[in-house]
Formats: sequence, structure tokens, C-alpha cells
Amino acid sequence: MTPPPALPVAALMQPDVEMPDSAANRALLSPLGRPSLRYWALLGVAVATVVYGLSVWMYQIYAGMGVAGYAHPVFWGVYIVTFVFWVGIAHAGTLISAILYLFRSKWRNAINRSAEAMTVFAVATAGLFPLIHLGRVYRAYWLLPYPNERGLWPNFKSPLLWDVFAISTYATVSIVFLFVGLIPDIAIARDRARGWRKLLYPALALGWHGTARQWKAHNRTVLHLSGLATPLVLSVHSVVSWDFAMSIVPGWHATIFAPYFVAGAIFSGMALVLTVVIPIRRIYGLEAYITDYHFDNMAKFILLTSTIVGYAYVTEYFIAWYSAVETERTSFFLRAFGPYWVSTWIMITCNAIFPQLLWFKKLRTHVPSLFAIAFLVNIGMWFERYVIIVGSLSTEYDPSVWVTYTPTWVELSILAWSFAWFSMFFLIFLKLFPVVAIAEMKEIVIHEKEHAPRRGDVWNHAHTFGEIH
Amino acid sequence: MPTLVGVFEQPLAVAELARHLRQRGFEELEIYSPVPSHELDRALDEKPSRVRIFTLIGGLLGVTTGYAMTVWMSLDWPIMIGGKPYASVAPYTVIAFELTILLGGLFTLLGLFVVGRLPYGRFGKTDPAYHPRFSAEEFGLVVRCRDRDVSEVDGLLRRASAKEVTLVEA
Repeated sequence: MTPPPALPVAALMQPDVEMPDSAANRALLSPLGRPSLRYWALLGVAVATVVYGLSVWMYQIYAGMGVAGYAHPVFWGVYIVTFVFWVGIAHAGTLISAILYLFRSKWRNAINRSAEAMTVFAVATAGLFPLIHLGRVYRAYWLLPYPNERGLWPNFKSPLLWDVFAISTYATVSIVFLFVGLIPDIAIARDRARGWRKLLYPALALGWHGTARQWKAHNRTVLHLSGLATPLVLSVHSVVSWDFAMSIVPGWHATIFAPYFVAGAIFSGMALVLTVVIPIRRIYGLEAYITDYHFDNMAKFILLTSTIVGYAYVTEYFIAWYSAVETERTSFFLRAFGPYWVSTWIMITCNAIFPQLLWFKKLRTHVPSLFAIAFLVNIGMWFERYVIIVGSLSTEYDPSVWVTYTPTWVELSILAWSFAWFSMFFLIFLKLFPVVAIAEMKEIVIHEKEHAPRRGDVWNHAHTFGEIH
Repeated sequence: MPTLVGVFEQPLAVAELARHLRQRGFEELEIYSPVPSHELDRALDEKPSRVRIFTLIGGLLGVTTGYAMTVWMSLDWPIMIGGKPYASVAPYTVIAFELTILLGGLFTLLGLFVVGRLPYGRFGKTDPAYHPRFSAEEFGLVVRCRDRDVSEVDGLLRRASAKEVTLVEA
């Protein structure tokens, strides 16, 4: 027998006290509560549109690609446009979660979770379109290098195959990134779960206790994933741009394409983050966590990338003229004054002109204007890809085969499906997982508590948290 | 063995005390933290996390697979495309690059599981010393010690500004 403890053990044992929960937990878990009628209505509309889109797709598989508006030589239409659009949207998430993490931009903490989730859902949406565009979707697996009875391997010199690798890597790494970031927050939800959620969260939290060992491995993992995702985000849209730039189609064959597409991707992604986060903040009253300071920063990103995109537009036109290549000159002339002039001017005004209003701080912090500009950017960026893809293909070298392409109802239905598909996933995510990274927000709260008297820290507490302490 | 849990407000106090306790020979320590903290990262183990080895192996495996697969497959059924060599390394760099990221990322996740010992514990059960307050805003320092050290550890925890000290296992 060991000697008895110096203090009576019973004196040390305390009854379970009422749990002191943190304000951040309560506020940021509140969106997981019982869904409102409006939520069900929104989800219902999204699911109905998805069902409708799926049936239209089945009709297209059955009837053949003739029901899409393809007209020789325009064999890349709305599907490829929408593919590039959604891949672009995905880029803001990785920019915010990986690149801003490496730069230690703490303001990202408020929006990184929603941006990462958007990345995953946007890639999931984008990934559908090559399959839809394929026509015979049941042969999609031919793209993968697998041993087959024909003894053939795919052509690794083709940018289209690079795309397969880039997009599937991007999808996988984004899912890993989202999940790793979610583990501690799922554990927070697990500790407070009721009802059926008591089955879901323990399974996904993987027994996370927040021990020193777990956090240490977690910190390293996030750092390394950020390091890997940073070049990845730059590579993915470059590879997508090479789908075009590696060909000899006038209007596509340009070295500017990779940086031009990457800037456009971040531009459109940031705009969609704003389009999604502004309503969420309003509906769930998260003004204390997602503040005008965050919106101001995102608006500056949009302003910067809008300027880059606008510069790329000017460069494209200048080089087309300066090259003195007849086909290039014609292609660009017809963009602005040919059959697709409406799309081109929508693209120029929405992407290069309206966002320039964000030079004014008043507009950057005025939420309705910001929402309107972000919304216009989303439209403009879809039209940018439409102009590049359709505009160039319809007026290639030989004027005798020039056509005017018009999307059919099938293509437009599937375009609508893509938005519903994305929204459906996002709405479901909103009710299952914390849409703001709680642990990372608390990191700032606790850090502030520790260094409370110190002034002039790297960033301004008041800006980020309002009155929450 | 008795297990004591001290509840703290600040990670710094926990890290300092953990280091002190280790110097005094208490090796069976555990820290619960609601947030990542660089102070706590080093409190129980000064060495850099071994996750980095996993990332390195994954990345190297990816780049090797990328080049080896593309070159071998091109030579396995040689087809002349665009007048280029059968195995042209420059375009294959794209594939090798993507696979570096892919395998690097997946191995990093594996590293998190192996080094962080996840999944941990039994389904729906937490350690007896764990409390949901440690996923709120408080930090826990768990010390397993011999019966005769209980009062000493209790004193140390309280002196290091522990809000509460609880004995979870007698």
C-alpha cells in the first residue's frame, strides 16, 4: 500500500460544474440549429432544380449531343464555359485558406471555412461538365491511364489529359484541406451535440481531444497542405488555360493566358465568396465575426484582380493589332463588334469597369453596393469565358465555315442545374458544419486576452471582433 | 495512478508549468487545448513534428511516379505525336507536378493520422480527464502521478494560476 495522500482525495473531487461555454462557440454553432422554413424552401428549390437538370442530362445522353447547340466548328459551348467558370470560382477558397495562411493574414480566419467549402463544391460542380460535355459519359474512364485490352495509354502530351490530373488533384487536396480544418470544429460540435448529431460528429471528429500531440501534428499538417496547395492553385487554372492556349485557334494562342486565367479565377472566386458570405452573415447575425474589415479586404482583392483582368483585356487587343496577323485581328474585332458583342461588352463592363468603383472606401464598406458589384462580377466572368471560347471557335481561319452559336434550352437547363447543385451542397454544409472556423477565431480571442495591454499589434482587434471578447 | 487536471485560462502558463513538471520528473503529462498554440507545441515535445517526413516521402513518391508512369507508358506503345520524342519530359512535368501535390497531400493526411494518433479512443467516448470546457476557451493540464505526489502536484498547479484542480482518478 502506498502512503495515503497528504490531502483527502474527497476534498479535491468536485461535482461537475455547469459548463462555461465560450461566446464564440455559441455564436458560431448557432447556424446549426433547427432550419427555418425559408431554409427548407431554398433547399427545396435547389433540389428540384437538380432533379430537373439530371433529367435533362439523361435526355441528352439518350438523344445525343445534337440537342446541345453545337454547330460545326463550335464544339465547345456552354458546358466548357461553365466548367471553366466553376473551376475559377474554386480558386478563391484555396487562395484564402492556403496563400493567406502562409502570409499569416489573420483576417482570413473569418471567411476561410466558407471559402474552402465553396472550393470543394465548386470543383464538384466543375467536374460534372467535362462528363456532360463528353456525350458518352459511360466512357469517361478512358481518360485514366489504366491497363486495358487495347494495350493503349492516354496521350500525356495533351493539355486535356493534364486537366484530368490537375482537376482530380485539386478536388482531392481541397477535400483533404477542408476536412483537416474541420476536425477540431467537429469536436467542438460533438461536445455540444444533441439528437441524431450525436452519431455524426463523434464519427467525423475521429476522437479529437485537442491534446498537445494532436494539435502539433495538426499545425504541421495545415502548414504543409498550405505549402502544397499554393502552387497547386496557380497550376490548376494555368492548366485549364492551356486547354486553349496550346491550340492554334486565333484568340486562344497566347502566352498571357495562364496568368490571365489565374487572376480571373481569383477575381471570380472572391466575388462569389462575397455573394455567399454577405447573406449568411446577415441571416445568422455573424456581424461580430465577419466584419466590414473583412469585406473591405476582399473588396481590395477584387479591385486588384479586376485591374489585372482589365489589363489582360487591353493586352489581348493590343497584341492582336500589333501582331498584324489577319486572323487574330479579325477574331478580336468580331468579339467587340460581331455577333457576340453583347457578351463582350457585358464582360468588359462587369469585370473591368464596375469593380473599379471599389477604389472608394465608402463603396467597399457599403454592403449592398459590394454585393451588387460582386454579383455583376459573377455574371461578367461567366461571359468572359463565353466570349473567349465561343467567340474564338465560331470565327476561325476559314470564313466559309463561320457560324453563330446559340445555346439551346438543354444547355441552359444544365447551366441552371450547376448553380442549384452548388447551392444544394452549400446549404446542406451550412446545417452540418460550422461555417466559420471556430478554433481559429478563438485563437485570436485567447491571443488577445494574453496580450491585452499591448497596443499596435499586427492587426487591429477592434476591426476584427467588434465587441466580442 | 491518480490523475489531476488543472484548468487554465492561458496557454503560456500551461506551457511553462508543463516544462517545469517535466524537469521535476513528472513524465505522464497531457495538455488539452481549444486552440492551436505554438507555446504548447513545444511544451511536451521540443522536436519538430514528424509529419514533415510524411510530406517529403509523399512528394518524392509523386514526382517519381509522375515521370516514371508517363515515360514508361509512352514507350510501352510508341506513338509519334506532333513530331515530338515518344517520351518528352517537358509536357510530362505537368503530370509529375500534379502527382507530387496529390501524393504529398495524401501522405500529409496520413502523417496527421499516424503522428497525431487519429482516430483516437472509442466511438462517442472521451478520456476521463477530458471535459467539454476544453473545447470552449480553457486549457487543461493533466498530470498522472503517484499517490504521495498528489499534494505536491496540486500545489504546483494552483501556484501556476490554475482556476480549478480536479482529481479524476484516485
